[in-house]
Amino acid sequence: MTLDAIRRGVPGATSAAHLGRRLRGRNEIDEWGLDPELVSFADPVLALRWDIEVRGAERLPSVGGAVLVFNRRFGLSEPWVLARGVRQATGRFVRTVGVPDIAGLGPFLRRFGGVLDRTDEIAGLLRAGQLVGLATERDVRSRERVGTLEVQRLDAALATGSPVVPVALVGRELGRQWTIVVGDPVHPRASAGPLAALELAEDVRQADQALLEDALPSSWWF
Amino acid sequence: MRVLITGMGGELGTRVANLAEADERVTEILGIDLFPPRRRIFRSEFHRVEPGDRRKAVRLVRDFDPEVVLHLGIFEPHSRTSPTEARLGTRAYAVSILGAAASCPSLQSIVVRSGLEVYGRRRGAPSRPDESAEVVPTSPFGESMAHVEQVAVEAGEAAGVPVTAVRVAPIVGPSIPSPIGRYLRLPVVAVDPISELPFSLLHQEDACQAFMAAAWLRHDGPLNVVGPGAVTGTQAALMGHRIPFPVFGPGWRIAAAMAELQGAPLPPHARELLVRGCTADGSLGREVLGIEPRPTHEVVEQLYRWSEVAHVAPAQGVVA
Repeated sequence: MTLDAIRRGVPGATSAAHLGRRLRGRNEIDEWGLDPELVSFADPVLALRWDIEVRGAERLPSVGGAVLVFNRRFGLSEPWVLARGVRQATGRFVRTVGVPDIAGLGPFLRRFGGVLDRTDEIAGLLRAGQLVGLATERDVRSRERVGTLEVQRLDAALATGSPVVPVALVGRELGRQWTIVVGDPVHPRASAGPLAALELAEDVRQADQALLEDALPSSWWF
Repeated sequence: MRVLITGMGGELGTRVANLAEADERVTEILGIDLFPPRRRIFRSEFHRVEPGDRRKAVRLVRDFDPEVVLHLGIFEPHSRTSPTEARLGTRAYAVSILGAAASCPSLQSIVVRSGLEVYGRRRGAPSRPDESAEVVPTSPFGESMAHVEQVAVEAGEAAGVPVTAVRVAPIVGPSIPSPIGRYLRLPVVAVDPISELPFSLLHQEDACQAFMAAAWLRHDGPLNVVGPGAVTGTQAALMGHRIPFPVFGPGWRIAAAMAELQGAPLPPHARELLVRGCTADGSLGREVLGIEPRPTHEVVEQLYRWSEVAHVAPAQGVVA
């Protein structure tokens, strides 16, 4: 019987082993600041907060970069829900765009996969084969409408030729139940241009809107 | 092939000279530096030149008429010189040597040592810039290297030859005099656990291999050379069984003063690295130069592996 097998049988032994590695500085942190072990440490807490169902996870690429465009209302829960849901379903981390670059908060959010909202930052992540979560504009008035998606925000996907995957998130900010619906990837055209970028943004937004309408319960208010 | 190596007195310069000596394609090697070489050189000709002695530097370069210039004469603050000497020396060497090289008829390529510090770590700067990222240095050392790159590009344009700026990650190794290496070896290491971002490092041997590869490839433009992976200051201290001591904001002034008292002064670019991180996308460099640098974790481990430093007793009469 190996040491790992013994550890698996003892409650908390794996966490203790991870903690020991951290105290020796042996844990992994990637160049953008993601700390996968810290994320797994926080998993039990995140599980208490959100109960997430993922539909269509098989549409997400198993390897390589992709941009996941998701809707948001207030935008507090959605990045966490998306990252946790996709990780549960596929084992892949989602790098959510929009972390403020300020001391304390910025590095903390980066440990959980946050990245700066810069085209070159997103392009670098896509070239490195990462999944990037890109939120549409907030639409606080309605849960049923996907916010606008600025054309420039997909520049990195166009530059790297990465697929753009529309993702609809359904849930309440203070609720526990969330549903993630993954749509079919939209591939940017090879001959990129101003019109191609505009069409890509429109196609993705419309696909996201259709997913959201299908996923919303028929009697939402009740 | 005649190769001019500036900075031959440094750890990198001496090692690059040894690599060039072992290469049959290199017929003559001229070395210039403020300090003498750190190890035995076999068929290189070395001249000690003060950075301010422009006439001597220009005469030596023109008489030698190099085909390849490997400009490694970059002085890192608190490495072997004070910050002011480092800044002035780096500027003076770049202008006089690269300026003289530009008028040499046989010149075919220029390779300059630069660093990731040229990208700067201002708020909102990309975490992992590639070679296309804007050069906006935020430390004196970064500014010095950006100036060297600029002078090299001007010299290259004047001579009509390609210029390769090898932007290396902070170089650390068991024997290289690096401020960040000395600092991380202190028994108590001040870190900023709340704000720190990861940084990447490069082993000295990988840096030397990159410079030599660049000398032959004649790539026109910058290349990042970075060890894969990254660590934070806290991680590095823990890996070396050092005590990480949390410091915030103005506390860094006290921490820097304490480190200086212990013989490990912390220049602005090293502090910036510990707090704001320093990484880059090195995929183009690996592809063009055909090198695979050691991972950053391994570089940190080697920094603390004192057993690899071989002490040879003088009575044995053996050269290490």
